Amino acid sequence: MGFANSSCSFTRFRILDPVPATLWPQILDKLKQFAMRDIDDIPEMQGQGWTCFEDMLDTDWVTAPPQKGAYIVFSLRLDMRRIPAGVVKKHVALALKEEKKRMGEQGKNYIARERKKELKEQVLLRLRSRFLPVPGEFNVLWATDKNEVWFASTQNKMIDLFLEEFLKTFELHLEQLTPYNLAVSMLDEESLIRLDKLEPTQFAPLS
Amino acid sequence: MNMPYLGESTDSILGKEFLTWLWYQSDTAPGAFTDKDGAPFAVSMEQRIVVEGGEGDARETASVSGSLSPLREARFGLGNGKQVSRALLRLEKEELAFQVSLKAEDFCLNSLKTPKLDKGDSDDDPDALLLEKFYLMEVCTGLLDALYARFLKLRLSSGWQKEVDDMRQWMTRTE
Repeated sequence: MGFANSSCSFTRFRILDPVPATLWPQILDKLKQFAMRDIDDIPEMQGQGWTCFEDMLDTDWVTAPPQKGAYIVFSLRLDMRRIPAGVVKKHVALALKEEKKRMGEQGKNYIARERKKELKEQVLLRLRSRFLPVPGEFNVLWATDKNEVWFASTQNKMIDLFLEEFLKTFELHLEQLTPYNLAVSMLDEESLIRLDKLEPTQFAPLS
Repeated sequence: MNMPYLGESTDSILGKEFLTWLWYQSDTAPGAFTDKDGAPFAVSMEQRIVVEGGEGDARETASVSGSLSPLREARFGLGNGKQVSRALLRLEKEELAFQVSLKAEDFCLNSLKTPKLDKGDSDDDPDALLLEKFYLMEVCTGLLDALYARFLKLRLSSGWQKEVDDMRQWMTRTE
């Protein structure tokens, strides 16, 4: 669920690198450069890229600009083709049957391992063009005055993809604000030394 | 992502100890919190709490829920060495009320609910509602950060042992 929903889940990050002042006027161009390219008509399993916050189908930011006050908002779209294993199994079996028949006509009956692999790849490629990718949208909020970025997912796989795309687009490294990293961002040097020597507390009453 | 990273075990220690401490604090003095500007706010942990203990294959978790329950079973778990690994927090500052489920190991915020927005304000600027929502979300993370800062200050001071002694009393309280 996105930031505009009544309930949303997200992960917090801080930007580790200094943000060059020259980046701000280029934000929109960079988003467009790495915008979502639809994979409906090409046989890719997965496609991802940025889209407009208000409209996940808008990759030209015609609907609204990403800048809103001190925030920059946009979305990461991830389109994925999911072909059920049963469908793959059936069509691979059909292809093998076909191949066997063809070979039988030539007086052979053994399908080499490599050929089986090749047939499976051909089947997958054919099936990909018949299954439409399922689109997913994940909001991003960049609080420029706080150097913080929020991403509307808590799944590790999505977080990894987001970090990769953000780095590629803006050439800025993000760090997830986990308990340790959040503590590091809050504490002075003296406390940090104590933090690094932290031993777990035994809360349960000692028996 | 399953590779261990620098600070991973510290993440787990800090996250669980923070939520465990927060449960104790919110149970014994729910209104005694202040934000970074000194304004008071209240915290309660209610409805749902997950405690976890043990290592590796012996790890066990207990999830306790109940809308008005004191979550006694979970508190007994603390007495047996478990710690809070996930909790549903309710934060109240003046007329604003927030609810969020916080996971100890990574501080991901799940199902954050902010106060309802007044749709009547949206006539002039299409972004007004959105900006209001972002503002409310930042208020909530600000309160969480204030709680965490207070915990860290105490956790890294000599006063922590005294706090732990008091927490032990609370864990084994039977009423």
